[in-house]
Amino acid sequence: MRTTINGVSALAIGCFLTVASACDFDVVNPGPVQEEFLVDEAAQPALVNGMGRALAEAQNWLGYTSAAVAREIHPSGSTGSFGISQEWQRGELAFDEVDTHWNTGQRARWLAENGIGIIRDAGEAQPGLLAKANLWAGYANRLLGEMMCEGVIDGGPRVAHTEYLNRAEANFSAAMAGGGTVAMAATAGRASVRAQLGNWSGAVSDAGSVPSTFSYLLPYYSTEGDAQRNRIQFASAAEPYKAHSSWNTWYQNYGRSTNNPAGDPRMPYLLTNQTGDAATLCCGQVDWWPQQKYPDSGADIELSSGAEMRLIEAEDMLNTGNWQGAMAKVNALRAAAGMAPETANSAAEAWGFYMREHGIETWLEGRRLPAFRRWSANGVDMTLRHPLEQVSPNGEQGDGSHLVQQDLCFPIAESELDTNINLR
Amino acid sequence: MRPSTFEFTRFGLRARSGLAGALALALLAFLSAPGAAQNTGTVTGAVTDASTGAAMSAVQVYLVGTGLGALSAGNGRFIILNVPAGTYQVRAERIGYQADDQSVTVAAGQTATADFGMRAQALGLDEIVVTGTAGAKRRREIGNTVAQIDLSEVAEPVQSVDALLQGRVTGATILQSSGMAGGGAMIRLRGNVSVAMSNQPILYVDGVRVRSDGFAKNVPPVGYSGRSSNDIASPLNSINPADIERIEVIKGSAATTLYGTEAAAGVIQIFTKRGHTGQARWTAQVEQGFARELPFGPDLADGLPPSERGVDGEGMLASGARPEYMYINPWLRGNLPTCDEVSGNPGQPCDSGLFSDWGAWQQRYALSVAGGSETLRYFMSGSWEDDLGVLPNDVEEKFVVRGNFTFEPLTNLQLTWNTSYTNDAIRNTAAGNNAHGLTLNAYRRDANYLNDEAFDAINPFVRLGDGSEAQSITTDIDHLITGLTATYSPMSNWTNRLTVGYDLAQQDNRNLRPFGFIRAQSGILSDRRYRFSNLTLDYVGTLDFGLTDEVRSSFSWGGQSVTQVDESTTSYGDNFPGPGDPTVSAAGNTLGFEERQRLVTAGFFFQNVFDISNKYFITAGVRVDGNSAFGKDLGLQAYPKVSASWVLSDEDFWNPDNGQVKVRAAWGQSGRAPGAFDAVRTFDPVGWGGAPAFFPLNVGNSELGPERTTEWEAGFDAAFIDDRLAVELTYYNQTTTDALFNVRQIPSQGFLGSQLQNVGELKNSGVELGVNASILRRSDFGWDLGTTIYTNNSEVTDLPDEVPSFSLGNDGWVVEGQPVPVLQANCVDNPTALADPVVRQDCNYGPNLPTLTVGVNTTLHLPRGINLTARGEYQGGHYISNGAEGAALSRSVRFPSCFDSYRIIESQGEGALTALQRGRCVGRFFDGDYLIYPADFFKVRELTLYVPLPDDLFPGAASSSLTLSGRNIWRWVSDEWSVLDPEMGANDGFNTTVRGILEHVPVPSVWTAALRVTF
Repeated sequence: MRTTINGVSALAIGCFLTVASACDFDVVNPGPVQEEFLVDEAAQPALVNGMGRALAEAQNWLGYTSAAVAREIHPSGSTGSFGISQEWQRGELAFDEVDTHWNTGQRARWLAENGIGIIRDAGEAQPGLLAKANLWAGYANRLLGEMMCEGVIDGGPRVAHTEYLNRAEANFSAAMAGGGTVAMAATAGRASVRAQLGNWSGAVSDAGSVPSTFSYLLPYYSTEGDAQRNRIQFASAAEPYKAHSSWNTWYQNYGRSTNNPAGDPRMPYLLTNQTGDAATLCCGQVDWWPQQKYPDSGADIELSSGAEMRLIEAEDMLNTGNWQGAMAKVNALRAAAGMAPETANSAAEAWGFYMREHGIETWLEGRRLPAFRRWSANGVDMTLRHPLEQVSPNGEQGDGSHLVQQDLCFPIAESELDTNINLR
Repeated sequence: MRPSTFEFTRFGLRARSGLAGALALALLAFLSAPGAAQNTGTVTGAVTDASTGAAMSAVQVYLVGTGLGALSAGNGRFIILNVPAGTYQVRAERIGYQADDQSVTVAAGQTATADFGMRAQALGLDEIVVTGTAGAKRRREIGNTVAQIDLSEVAEPVQSVDALLQGRVTGATILQSSGMAGGGAMIRLRGNVSVAMSNQPILYVDGVRVRSDGFAKNVPPVGYSGRSSNDIASPLNSINPADIERIEVIKGSAATTLYGTEAAAGVIQIFTKRGHTGQARWTAQVEQGFARELPFGPDLADGLPPSERGVDGEGMLASGARPEYMYINPWLRGNLPTCDEVSGNPGQPCDSGLFSDWGAWQQRYALSVAGGSETLRYFMSGSWEDDLGVLPNDVEEKFVVRGNFTFEPLTNLQLTWNTSYTNDAIRNTAAGNNAHGLTLNAYRRDANYLNDEAFDAINPFVRLGDGSEAQSITTDIDHLITGLTATYSPMSNWTNRLTVGYDLAQQDNRNLRPFGFIRAQSGILSDRRYRFSNLTLDYVGTLDFGLTDEVRSSFSWGGQSVTQVDESTTSYGDNFPGPGDPTVSAAGNTLGFEERQRLVTAGFFFQNVFDISNKYFITAGVRVDGNSAFGKDLGLQAYPKVSASWVLSDEDFWNPDNGQVKVRAAWGQSGRAPGAFDAVRTFDPVGWGGAPAFFPLNVGNSELGPERTTEWEAGFDAAFIDDRLAVELTYYNQTTTDALFNVRQIPSQGFLGSQLQNVGELKNSGVELGVNASILRRSDFGWDLGTTIYTNNSEVTDLPDEVPSFSLGNDGWVVEGQPVPVLQANCVDNPTALADPVVRQDCNYGPNLPTLTVGVNTTLHLPRGINLTARGEYQGGHYISNGAEGAALSRSVRFPSCFDSYRIIESQGEGALTALQRGRCVGRFFDGDYLIYPADFFKVRELTLYVPLPDDLFPGAASSSLTLSGRNIWRWVSDEWSVLDPEMGANDGFNTTVRGILEHVPVPSVWTAALRVTF
């Protein structure tokens, strides 16, 4: 016969274990950082770096898609990952296709503006952090102001896109206090914003203080995944995407390539005997001639440059009828690039050369579509552009640029329209 | 010799050393088995089904009050040795049958015979159920449905627990997302109860909480998240089906209340086999089989378009690729082109004829032993399987060992220690929506990422020139589940049960595209190591007492805590210096990642069951829970429940000839908790070019709490016509309030993600009907026929104004008044018109989960104990977006789904196409939204022939049998269906709220022959 024991002690242990475990609510989740830690001065450099990365992501999306619509590149395949959607292939920027563009742009702006407040409140941990934060905020606002048709600030009501440009001007002005390269970049940034706002005297004034050799770059990194890569490069690097091509662009016989070694070195592309990674809507499978301006996915993108300043000065001259002066500026840029000068015999021709030179200097930097928008708004004859930058002659995808339409700005995205009660 | 308390303590210490402890226990068990003794005899006999005469296995036969017993073998025979001389009551018991008693007298040195003819019991009102109730309760006492699968009733050699559940549980939807080796299945019990949290039921094995969500996908931490095989393994499949005794499934909050905060999606509890008194019984099983795909391409009944007639006039490409298999068959084991067909492609695999390539070879071997003494019983098993998949690099090699031990060192104390260890090594082919994968590039034909559909062009994604793998995707999972349960009864009416359980899974995901890989020339390697653990502490006390002569009360109380720890570390490298077998250290660029999270759910409960005259039962209880995700100030959550059952047929007015009827109803609540830190505003340390950087991550919501599902169900269980007709009918109605929605944030406020908020309300309702009939019962012949019907109607009944309809991906939306989720997209308003499509925006196609599931099963009981079983399953009423088709057609791929349209265009011109055909197949009208299809299908899930073999076939064997089985061997899809298979999934395996289809291969048909011998 087996024995029986009093189990009170065993029961007590069991109850104790259960109750004790029920009281242990400790959570361990050391990855995310709670907001309260950001007020720590030591967190400020990372906060400012976050602003830069956010801007880089926004620039990636807006720069790439706007390049497709402006026909800086021609679609050659993918419509999904790293691809150019069918709408964008047609030149359409629809509100329900641009969530990521809007979202990343807004994040860049909000993070920078919010971070400026945090740094101001806590006091600048290192000299120059506040200026750098203002510089990132300025470029983020410039990106939104140049690209977006309308604006929204922090969940508020609809505002004009110029609100972003005004904020950018203020940010750049604040950043100029930082001195050094940051101040120079801020000056150049403010010049471009003022030009977009139509403040040509202010723009020229700022541009004049920026030397022609100046260049300010937005960093990209090839080692840490898609989010930090140069999207335009990676989308056509055959790893595996071959989503865009220089085929059927205006510079396919102008830029430098193996069959055109005398071509403009500022627009290099590679001739291959391959086709893009899928069939395009307009033309089936097309030749894949990838751009070479960005040789790898870690290639930086220029945000401001002295060359852009000279273009601002030239455009101001064109606006005031001094087309000869403008051509001198254009040819100076060409000479610096080792290209032969162009000769214009009229203001219209000068505009045409200027528009082309603008396209060359700012190629794949996300500045072409905003320039179209500015010129269009200012009444410039848009037919002076190369035909392959314009809507196809019959408005169908079968010929010319294959653009059915050409939207010049990004609408407020569905993601904002659906969630922001002030927009209903 | 009997183990003393001291010996138990020693064992407890040694047990922690794992296998050594198990071996020690085994030795102990053998030592403790009754030895031959003087004045003893033997009891033997056979157990048969009284109605059909068929031999019955797995019947527990024991001498009442002695602890001596045995389990009947496959031929129904049992033998109980070393029975002291005397007179005994011999009892035979098995789930689903009425217990049978006989009296035998055993004389020293003699053999007494007791044969049993057991009667099937359709209702089993006195069977014990433990899931969903405190302690063990008789089925008659329970007011909710409990589905039960008795493995001894399953003839099919089951490959996985997923497959075991499929089509056998009314109210369950089991969908395997691909034909990848090692892939798991999505399980939904009574639909989706949440749109933000997991809808996978929680899982218990022998009382121990086990991870129920899928294991981690094997994908590098950076870059596109689809560089993978894009399927995931399920912890459920760590369990060897041959080790399972039974599975209990409870499906709604009315039943799951006592499991608290995480149980709204249901509970699956697996009970593994336990030892029995008597001599050791060995069971060996060998399975050999093969898998191959059924055609999953277009219906070519109307012929091919002339441009697609290929090299043989029937659509075949030069590589032997055929449209019936979406041009991937040159890589499909079992569907390779013949060698004649690819004679112009030297080096290409081909099927050279008979027996060379029936399919992907699958082999399994299992051995188990069970036995024990009055004080110590054991069940130990081991199994090894090696299953090739249909895709060329796919293979799963798995071995499982188990030791289950039951000690009764004292008359009022029982200790059970159950441990299993599984090593699952899975190797996969790159698949899914993966531009570096085989499936995508094969399906996209010459518009793939190589612009070439030739075998040699695509094969570098799979194999190198030397035949080795071009990329290596390996997943190794070590899974330990161990639990110790002490059941102590200090008094006859007072029982205490304490379980301490530990579930530990370690996963090593290695993903290599080596130096020289066709689309990543410098090579990429990631190695991600995960550690998932659950620590369970569970105590239940039950006190039975009589309130009056007619009314008894069973009061239960207890507490439970589950501590879940998920950790991962990842190393990543790219840019390797040259070829070879690399480590991350060799890479030019290296990155490291770490994640760790710990969550605790704990609570206590009370329950009381009032038993009135053993025919009226009322149960009331409450579970009070805390969860660490609720935050510090949100306190405890209470989940009440109440249920009632009435055994109508026990009433005096009931004529026993009318059968048995139990009427039942239940109401209860349970919940789902948000994740850790969901309530807090956080930033994500993302880094930027190696420097630290912060990004906005989570907006935070200090008001966050669990969502709460309230369910009521009512129905009856009945058996009529001498238990030949069994009916179970249940209506259920669930409402999830404070539903957790991932509410999109306003982008201009900086946070791009969604924030969990307790908003909205969801409803699920439907009917579950199970009917099983024994149509014919003759000696040596019988015919059983059964059906299950399950309906599910879900609806978002409330969305507050501030929360607009929102997308869950894959065209799934949460829209007020629509199913959860509804597929919403543009549609063609004039689909049948011979005109250009007229587009209508935001059309609600329909639900994404089946609204009607019908199972049919039939068994023929033939002479000599031969059984022929067939099971089929229909799922319908739902819609699936075919993303694989959309991705191809949007890139102007000549996709087989449009072959009918191409044929019409080529013969009659585009004008002869309907608007819907144009929208789907003509580039300028194309919109992927139009590729949402009704996903109704019927599949023959099982066809099994079970043949008992002659007793003398294997010397010394107690019984043996041969089983031939086919699984998923035939399918029907609706005429409106496109290509591929409506059961397929997308890139996230089964962990998804909205099912869609991407570039996978369907679950293949599997044919298996199993030989089972018991000694």
